[in-house]
This record gives sequence, C-alpha cells and structure tokens, in this order.
Amino acid sequence: MTASLRNVAIVAFAQRPIVTRDEHRMATEMLYPVVREALAQAGVERDAVEYQISASTDYLDGRPFGFVAALDVMGSWPPRQDLHLEMDGAFAAYYGWVKLQAGDVDSVLVATHGKTSEGQPERIFNLALDPYYHAPLGLDPISTSALQASAYMARTGITDADLARIVARNRAAGARNPDAQLREAVPAEVLQRAPFHVRPLRESYLPALGETATCLVLAAEGVAERLCERPVWIHGAHHASELQTLGARDLSRSASARLAAERALALAGLASAAEVDLIELSATTPVEELILLDALGLDGRSPDGPVVNPSGGPLCGHPIMSTGAIRLGEAFRQLAGRAGARQLPQASHAIAHGAQGHCLQQNVCFVLGTERRWR
Amino acid sequence: MHEPPADPVKYIETTVRLPYCYVAGDYRARQLRAFKDRKILGSRCSKTGKVFIPPLPNSPESFAPCTEFVELPDRGVVTTFCVVNIPVIGRSIDLPYVAASVALDGADISIFALIQECRAEDVHMGMRVEAVWKPDGERQGAHDDILYFRPTGEPAAPLESFINRL
Repeated sequence: MTASLRNVAIVAFAQRPIVTRDEHRMATEMLYPVVREALAQAGVERDAVEYQISASTDYLDGRPFGFVAALDVMGSWPPRQDLHLEMDGAFAAYYGWVKLQAGDVDSVLVATHGKTSEGQPERIFNLALDPYYHAPLGLDPISTSALQASAYMARTGITDADLARIVARNRAAGARNPDAQLREAVPAEVLQRAPFHVRPLRESYLPALGETATCLVLAAEGVAERLCERPVWIHGAHHASELQTLGARDLSRSASARLAAERALALAGLASAAEVDLIELSATTPVEELILLDALGLDGRSPDGPVVNPSGGPLCGHPIMSTGAIRLGEAFRQLAGRAGARQLPQASHAIAHGAQGHCLQQNVCFVLGTERRWR
Repeated sequence: MHEPPADPVKYIETTVRLPYCYVAGDYRARQLRAFKDRKILGSRCSKTGKVFIPPLPNSPESFAPCTEFVELPDRGVVTTFCVVNIPVIGRSIDLPYVAASVALDGADISIFALIQECRAEDVHMGMRVEAVWKPDGERQGAHDDILYFRPTGEPAAPLESFINRL
C-alpha cells in the first residue's frame, strides 16, 4: 500500500480513573469534566473542535437513544456535526480518523461513557448473540471467552500456568497506573490458586468490569501542532469484522484482528509489529492477549519484542465502551511522554487495538508514531 | 429446495429481562432530597446566569459549568400544554387531563407537569399555577412528591414574559 494520506494526530486524552461503581455520578456527570479536561489539555474552547463522536451503548444506559444525553455535556450548541457509534471508543476514533481523511474538518472530539454498574452486563451481552441458538443457552462474554480459551489451549498447548504468568505481568503493570481499577500486583502462583469461573478461565483471569468516561481529541496536521506540543501521529489504521456465528469461526484465531493489523502496519510502512515499542491490546483474558499477539505475528511467550499493555490492560480495568479508547489514550500518553510512573523510555512507535463483540468479533488496529507519517 | 413443512414452527418466544438500578447522580440527588423539604432546586450557569431545572452539572447551551444551586419557588406559568384523552399506563387520572410545560418563576427552562383542579378547557398559555405537594411526612424524595400543579387565580402572565422559556 503506497497511499499518501492526511497526517492526523491524537492531541489530547482524558479519562476518569476506572471504578467498579461510581455511586455519586450519573454517566453525564462522569463525562462532562473529562471533556473539559481534554479541551484544557489542548488549550482550546469547545468551539475550536469541529466534529464530535460519542461512543456508548444504549443497552448499558437502559434506554433507547440513551446516547443523546451525552450531547448535553459534549458542548453540542450551537449545533455540531455529530455522530454516535454503538461501539467502543476505539472504533469511534477510527471513524474520526476517516472523517479527517475526507478533509472537510480538521478536528474531532471523541467521548465515551458507560455505567456498567447500573445494568447487568452478562445479561445485556447475552443479547448480542444470535437469539435462536446461542442466547437461549445463557452464553455471556465470559463463557464465550472460555470456549475460545479451550480452543486456543487445545491447539497450542498453552497451559494454565502460562495464563497465570500473563495475568501477573498485566497486574504488575496496572499497579503503576493510577487510572487502573485493580492496582495490586499479584504473583502468578496466587492467581493460579483462584477457583475456576468458567473452566478453563479462573476468576483471576477475568477482566475487572468497571466504569469511566473518556475523551480523545484528534486533529489534522496544521492544527494538531497548535493543540499539542508532542502530537502522536496516526501512521495506520484499519477496522475488520468477522462472522457473528461463533460456530462458523475458528475461535482459537482472530482472522479479523490479523487483517486489521496487517493493513494498519502496511499503511504505516512497517514490515512487522515487532518494530513498535509498545502494544496496548483490548484483551479481556490472557488467552485473548495470546490470540491477538498471534494475529500481530508475535510470539506471546517470548520475553523479547514490544512491551504489551504497560497500562495493565483490560485485566486491570474493563470499562465497557471505553476500554479500546483507553488503549489509544495509553499509547498516546506513552508516546507523548505523559505516562507517569509507567512511562517507557524513548518509545517512538505503538500499536493500539480495540475490540467489540464476543470472542474478538470486531477489531480495530492503530499504528502510532511520534513523527509525521507522510510528507 | 424442499417445500416448507405443512405445520411449520412460526415463532420463538424470547423473554428479555434487563433490570437496572440507576444512581440518582450528584445534582439530582440534591434535588430529590430537597423535595422532602418542599424545596425545588435548580442550578445556575456560571457563564450566562441561566437557571436549569432539574439542576444540570453544566449548561448544554454555553457548555460552562453550573456551580451554584438556586432554590426556586413552587409556582410559575403554563408555557404550552396539550389535552390528553387517552389513559396513562400505570396512573389513574380522570380524562381528559392537561399535560403542560411549566416555567417556574426564576427558571430559564420549563418542566413537564400535570394540571389539575380546573377544567381542561380553562387552561391557557400564560396561566399562573402552583405545585400541590404530598403532605409532610409522606414525601420520599421522589418526583411524585409534587402531585400536580393547579391554577393560582392570579392574572395571566404576558406572552413576552415566557416566550423564551417554552
């Protein structure tokens, strides 16, 4: 791929620390200060950003068109060009990038919210399955992840102890992230003693479901430099989906993650994912992490290669609809030198990944860099 | 293709049950608590001074935060209304009844309210109304602590006094 595209950068990212349940704030009260903070980082008022996208799901809000409540706290007056996406914020950021490529706007605000504690996510996401054969079985994201884990472990010979080590590495990283929900390092031996939730997944191998709100600001070259001292440029991005029918897919692999990664890397002009310094994956189980690394052409068991989830990843906090946006935000923080105690030295390239649906049905992959991609 | 069966299965029954428990939220929690004391709280935009009810954390119009709570009187003006001739699910209200938009005195946006204690045909834009509360000891800090609004008998408010608060 030799396309020359518009240079677009992430110029701001704000999020609330992830919590299990914010008793005192409704979703809009969580989101408003985050939008203000992102704009403050960019040093602009709301009028300076031309396009806005919110990412949320009405099923978590528990009301049809629940997303419109976000408009009141996103600065939507006078009327703005606006999009709502019933997907994780990473996909909203992808749409923002596409909108910026079209050239009719120079700046985009992406806001995400989701009060996971107000409803029952295991019931809600059961409804994302086919209503004839899958949903009536009572499958939820944990049980479909367990099906996926069994398939992967059978194909590769990965063991329970391997999974525990992956979780332990994520938990140790999360302990350095003030925005993470779980902030305690736990040794693999301890994680491996937790009871099975849905075999082969132990309770300690599951993501901490939480809630937050986030806001990203994207801007095109010419504007980005005014909004941020160290903009983080999008070198490549791609979004791919696969079939809904779980039985029609090889659950031990993610063909759509592989496609998204290959296309994003090609656009970025990188021969391999091994060339980046860090990777933030929307992996909600240790098995998903391995499947995604496979899709990126990396060996998850090798100690070499890019640092994976220096933020602690979704295993240290999975605020549904914001999880992927946080992966982008964390990659931005690392490359912009804003990652605090978890800052990696001299990181220049990163991959950020977002996922949606059961067993990684949809994947979006970004390649980011500290320098402009195209001249 | 084969012919469909003579006696096909036509439907699959699916019962979806999704319980929710909403937090009241910081601003609404204060408003609901104030209902117990027969008080109505709004919030004031720090930039334009506009007063919103229910109280909002920020002005949707100016995007500025609302950093001050304002106690509003429990009376105001009917800004627009409709006459309903169909029953309400879950409530027993004599038909026809009036559903109105009421701008409380001092508020810059209106709330929705039931108008009672008058004939539907007597309701008009600009009619002055007041809240009828549940008695002391029965208010739970809920929206139905205000049972309905009723006419005060005061002279009608001129259109220009509420045309921007519809």
